[in-house]
Amino acid sequence: MIQLVHVFKIYPPNSPALTDISLEIDKGEFVFVTGPSGAGKTTLLKLLFRAEEPSEGQILLNGQNVNRLNSRGVARLRRKIGLVFQEFKLLPRLTALENVALAAEVIGTSKRESHAKAYHLLRELGLKEKCDVKPPTLSGGEQQRVAIARALINDPLLVLADEPTGNLDAEVSEETMRLFLKIREHGTTLMIASHDVALIQRYGTRVISLQRGYLADDLQRVTKQENGR
Amino acid sequence: MWSQMGFVGRQVWKSLRELFWTHFLTVATMTMALFVFGAFMLLQENLQHLLKGWGDQIQINAYLDKSLGVGDAQSLLVRVQSFPEVQRVRYISQQQAWKEFQAALGAQSTILEGLPEDVLPASFEIAIKPAFRDGSLVEGLAARLKKEKGIATVEYPQEWVDRLGLVVLVVRWAKWIFGGVLFMVTFFIVGSTVKLAILARKDEIEMMQLFGASEQMIQAPFILEGMAQGIVGGLLAVFCLWSLFQSLRDEIPTVVGLVGPLNQFQFLDLRGMALILVIGWLLGAAGSLFSLKRFVKSWKG
Repeated sequence: MIQLVHVFKIYPPNSPALTDISLEIDKGEFVFVTGPSGAGKTTLLKLLFRAEEPSEGQILLNGQNVNRLNSRGVARLRRKIGLVFQEFKLLPRLTALENVALAAEVIGTSKRESHAKAYHLLRELGLKEKCDVKPPTLSGGEQQRVAIARALINDPLLVLADEPTGNLDAEVSEETMRLFLKIREHGTTLMIASHDVALIQRYGTRVISLQRGYLADDLQRVTKQENGR
Repeated sequence: MWSQMGFVGRQVWKSLRELFWTHFLTVATMTMALFVFGAFMLLQENLQHLLKGWGDQIQINAYLDKSLGVGDAQSLLVRVQSFPEVQRVRYISQQQAWKEFQAALGAQSTILEGLPEDVLPASFEIAIKPAFRDGSLVEGLAARLKKEKGIATVEYPQEWVDRLGLVVLVVRWAKWIFGGVLFMVTFFIVGSTVKLAILARKDEIEMMQLFGASEQMIQAPFILEGMAQGIVGGLLAVFCLWSLFQSLRDEIPTVVGLVGPLNQFQFLDLRGMALILVIGWLLGAAGSLFSLKRFVKSWKG
């Protein structure tokens, strides 16, 4: 599903963010990317949805060389990826339903279908009553669930989440993680950047650890949830 | 396809609603620029029309020697008639000239009392073929006529026609110079409006890019906004011009009638009105595109 081959990312003038990263992630895997601040977690995720380009090396996503895509190709690539951010990035002037539906509308889904899908997703995530509410009046956990619904509306092959629980308390973080596990059940590949060690220990099935831009560790874990299934 | 068009349409409508006053000011500027351009166009077309009217009336008056007999005058007329530039020649005898002069004076003709009827010379009114109504050609013909035995003096209004031709030329250039400057200003104002619209929706655009919206999908609403501003500005400019023209229509002949034929002033034809709309449309689209390219470039770093 994802292949990184000797990937380097150096920001000008000479600040290496990632150094010689090579890894493979299979379809349906649930991967945590961890490491302290500045380790390169966000950069790694950005390379995958082509918000950044590698200085060196190859990135293959579903067999497609991400580096070689033109703007149209990048747009098509992003339609297969769902994105979740720490700061939610919801549009405050739109309702929860409109925020979710927008992601489908911009790729050509009709307004009616987008809204129906958005409603269905919000209902599944327990936000049926909040459809017409604008993000500023939602709690952090609710906002993150709206953002997750938005990431899922186009049935992505891959979901990338950058510190999705960073702004949430422990209880809501647990709830959010349970949602991600549910997403995985549909065969979606999940890659979550987080520095929350406790959370990773509870849920991480594979943990890619970065240190100052280097791949420090790539561990397969068996979690309580895996055992419990 | 239809759903994409629907989405783009909703985006345009939202922007027009949310940034109403910004769009309003841009349309007002666009209207003003196109109005000034249209006014020059109107002036130029009417002056050209006037010039053409004068051209049709161009004639050379050749006054005959008083000593020339009627027979000689007739043979001279036949000779002048044979010149290639000449369309027709009308002979005006001394008596006829006197009568026409009296008729022209009307009630004041009493001032002519006591004067002999042969005080005015006989003359030829020489109409010129359209192909020879150019300044230098008329001048050449007049010079040749002057050399003819039996012709005392020659008069022609070419100087006035030439001057009016110069005025038309000046108006034509002024139209593009004034219009050009105003179009440049409008271009940047449209660009600024689009920039404001882009900034107002920066987060939304960023999200659209992250969700995989195509460049066309992101840019189309802004370009359509610019085009809409241009077309509305063009329509308003034509309407303002038409209103002004209607209100001044009765005044124009009394002012300009001193120098030319009356009741011939006309509004822009369909081609002229379409030109104003097309210029507005292009200005709007170009201003938007220019701003979009700059913004997208700086955004991508």
